[in-house]
Amino acid sequence: MALDPHYIRNFSIIAHIDHGKSTLSDRILEMTDTVSKRDMKEQVLDSMDIERERGITIKSQAVRVDYKADDGQTYHFNLIDTPGHVDFTYEVSRSLAACEGAVLVVDATQGVEAQTVANAMMAMNANLEIIPLINKIDLPAADPERVRAEIEDGLAIPADDAVLASGKTGVGVHDLLEAVVYTITPPEGDATAPLRALIFDSYFDAYRGVVALIRIFDGAIHKGDTIKMMATGATALAEEVGVRRPTEIPTDELGVGEVGYLVTGLKDPAHVKVGDTITLVRGGCEEPLPGYRDVKSMVFTGLFPIDGDQYEDLKDALEKLALNDPALIYEPETSHALGFGFRVGFLGLLHMEVIKERLEREFNLDLLATAPSVEYHVYKTNGEMLSLHSPQDMPDASEIEHIEEPYLKAKILIPPDYVGAVMELTVSRRGEFKTMNYLSTKTVEMLWEMPLSELIMDYFDQLKSRTKGYASLDYDFDDYKPSKLVKLDILLSGKPIDALSFIVHSDKAYERGRVLCEKLKEIIPRQQFEVPIQAAVGSRVLSRQTVRALRKDVLAKCYGGDISRKRKLLEKQKKGKKRMKSIGNVEVPQEAFMAILKVDE
Amino acid sequence: MDDQMVMDDQMLDQDQFQSYRALYVHIPFCKKRCAYCDFTTEAIESGDPRIESYMDSLIMKIRRYSRQEILGQLETVYIGGGTPSHIGNKELSRLIYTLSLSMHLTPEVECTMEANPESLTLPMVKDIFALGVTRLSMGVQSFDNEVLQTLGRIHSASQAVEAIKTAQVRFDNISIDLMCGIPGQSHQSFVDSVSKALALEIPHISIYPLSIEEETPFEKRISQGLTEDIDPDTQASMMQEAEELLFAAGYHRYEVASYARPGHECRHNKAYWTGVPYLGIGRGAVSMKQNDHQRIRFNEEGVIETLNRPQMLVEDLFLGMRMSEGVSKEYVERIDREIEGTLDTFESLIDDNLVYEDAGRLKPTEKGWLLGNVLYGRIYSLEP
Repeated sequence: MALDPHYIRNFSIIAHIDHGKSTLSDRILEMTDTVSKRDMKEQVLDSMDIERERGITIKSQAVRVDYKADDGQTYHFNLIDTPGHVDFTYEVSRSLAACEGAVLVVDATQGVEAQTVANAMMAMNANLEIIPLINKIDLPAADPERVRAEIEDGLAIPADDAVLASGKTGVGVHDLLEAVVYTITPPEGDATAPLRALIFDSYFDAYRGVVALIRIFDGAIHKGDTIKMMATGATALAEEVGVRRPTEIPTDELGVGEVGYLVTGLKDPAHVKVGDTITLVRGGCEEPLPGYRDVKSMVFTGLFPIDGDQYEDLKDALEKLALNDPALIYEPETSHALGFGFRVGFLGLLHMEVIKERLEREFNLDLLATAPSVEYHVYKTNGEMLSLHSPQDMPDASEIEHIEEPYLKAKILIPPDYVGAVMELTVSRRGEFKTMNYLSTKTVEMLWEMPLSELIMDYFDQLKSRTKGYASLDYDFDDYKPSKLVKLDILLSGKPIDALSFIVHSDKAYERGRVLCEKLKEIIPRQQFEVPIQAAVGSRVLSRQTVRALRKDVLAKCYGGDISRKRKLLEKQKKGKKRMKSIGNVEVPQEAFMAILKVDE
Repeated sequence: MDDQMVMDDQMLDQDQFQSYRALYVHIPFCKKRCAYCDFTTEAIESGDPRIESYMDSLIMKIRRYSRQEILGQLETVYIGGGTPSHIGNKELSRLIYTLSLSMHLTPEVECTMEANPESLTLPMVKDIFALGVTRLSMGVQSFDNEVLQTLGRIHSASQAVEAIKTAQVRFDNISIDLMCGIPGQSHQSFVDSVSKALALEIPHISIYPLSIEEETPFEKRISQGLTEDIDPDTQASMMQEAEELLFAAGYHRYEVASYARPGHECRHNKAYWTGVPYLGIGRGAVSMKQNDHQRIRFNEEGVIETLNRPQMLVEDLFLGMRMSEGVSKEYVERIDREIEGTLDTFESLIDDNLVYEDAGRLKPTEKGWLLGNVLYGRIYSLEP
């Protein structure tokens, strides 16, 4: 039997990274007795280890909690925890579309940051009721008044009634729960209309196939219904529907305004896409819910097993991860230098790091990642357009008419003192300054357009270090624009090493080549022979360094007790060698492949 | 492992393990610790009663091993330090006298003692010679006073010369250590030291590149930027220069760091590189015992490492490559049957000019000596 929508509240908690969203969510689960204190693993909603370690949420989660309000009524809250990183902006937007309200968490010591603004904007665009909450008020450095002013000035959100809370101590959580009841509107929808449900997340279960997290807008879904995904066209049987508390509890149906899970039995995750609309095959709706788009990989990298024997393992691991992560795409790639591997596409740098870490940790793989790259559009003289994911596939210069690269609209929030530093850094990264607004006396918003390829070159770390950690960054894909781009090759002992090639703006080729040669000279250990390192565009050598031949590497003393020491040394040497990749006859340490990123040190 | 354990072990294993053929006796005392030293030794005054009690316990151990009949096959003895000469004539005489009673300390047995210039005296030379020491190894390091100071040595160059001449009153078989690549040591200074050793007619010379060990004063000075770091290229040049000078003077390089006139190679040290079981007695001493299946290294505290047969074979190969004689091709072929890839590895070492084949043996090249860690490392990687 469907719930009365009047007692349903669907909301998200949105925040800048580290502002305490997950801890706050945990307190809500605890105070509504959804999860007993004893069972409380810190931050229940962030279930992946890596998420917990990094203090970020990668996947969306939805939990139903029952809250007995001060008015004596029991309300059913659907708390939808959204991904907290800019890589996952689209997922956030879909999670928000499943809600009527949002709790905007702002750290009482940090104030409004770039993602606070970005998330608040998204919540406003989704027409959500926003409850501002100033978190971590128990900290000595908390300054709620300043933060209140920032929220009002910078975000134009009335903050007089902002909830003052501490996820850590639980202070203010009751006020928040009451605010949810009274501020956020109950869901509306037509229970008699054909089913319309939004998929805002999905995951793969080895036994049950793809499980979708859904929000019902119109109609109802019952166990046993034959359903259709309107964008992909896939049909499936609703094998099970239910709610998560957070363990899954099957129900007979989900009605208007409800949030829950749906077991589809589908084996291919590509059929169940975030943002798609579910309806019934018979008597379905005509119009899907708005806002669906195909998620596109933005950043690409080559992943190669250090031990060639692990290629099949890597393939299996990618397959498994991709089941739960439709944004992860991959295709086989062969490198002369690194052998067989995959070109893998990610939503962004964080997504890439997390995936690489999971592959290494959960699947016990030793991986070598090449420098990340973006998708270039190469327009050839014969009229063809090539989507280039790997510098290796760059056609010969004579075949190229022009190349376009993806640009971003970037928003940077900083204290006014750092405007100069950000200006200098971002201009050096081919950023084009658009405008600047004072959100408050202490926070400036700078808007830029810049190439994604520059952003993934260690830009964020540089931004952080040049602003003493104060800067926050948010960005959105803008458009493809023409650029003067060339492929820069790195040659070791005269041979181009494909895995070290990268695409760079021609004005910067010389400088990047020079710095990279110097870096590689430091990174590549001396070998038995001289190793010349060259940076070249086509046949033109831009820079050259030489790793001199190793002349002496021997510890001479080796008597009775020294032999065990000697063995240890050789063992260490052997382990060290395992971290190297032998290319031709040159031993190249793994860092070499990421050195391209560290051009600004 | 305590003495009792060693003893039990010995009794259990008597027929199982090969006999010890080399004996090392450790005297862990010095007047002062040198700046580069990380050996087990302590700076102590020569009359300190702790020396006497340490020597008492050494003597008791030697007597006990003698009763256990494990000293009967010894072919070489090495009394090392620390600085054995530092403990004085009386204690040394007690030790060597005990050895002469406990084993067959005949003139055929090579018995080396280490000495430092500041503590070697004429009476000591005469006494230890009379008691059966056949070879003296002198810690000289350099004949340049400035370099000696950098190293933290407490003797001067002229003291070293004097001590060598004193030793030569009885001993013909003398070895000295010289170091190269010491910060502040010029090329000429090193060459002069080698020439000085040649002029003194010393038949055995060890040439070591200085290595910086962890937690030594040297390491601290370098990490604080007070002393310049060692330069492997300089060390390589000096090692090569030494080789040329010594070749011309009729020495041959029988091990990466050891040069000798014919007949003056150190048999004891060669035992370490050729898989000969050795017994070590004293605080920092390491022993090695083995049979066909395993090789065990242990000290007074217990077992350091146990190698299985493939590990033993591989170790014999890379230790063998420290020496100019290398290993026989036939031996490598035999090992290849047990350890896959052995021959291939040697082939690739030949391709890389680290090893060459000569008269049925595989020997290190000049490059193989200088890049010893590369050479040994490639062989070590054969371990299954």
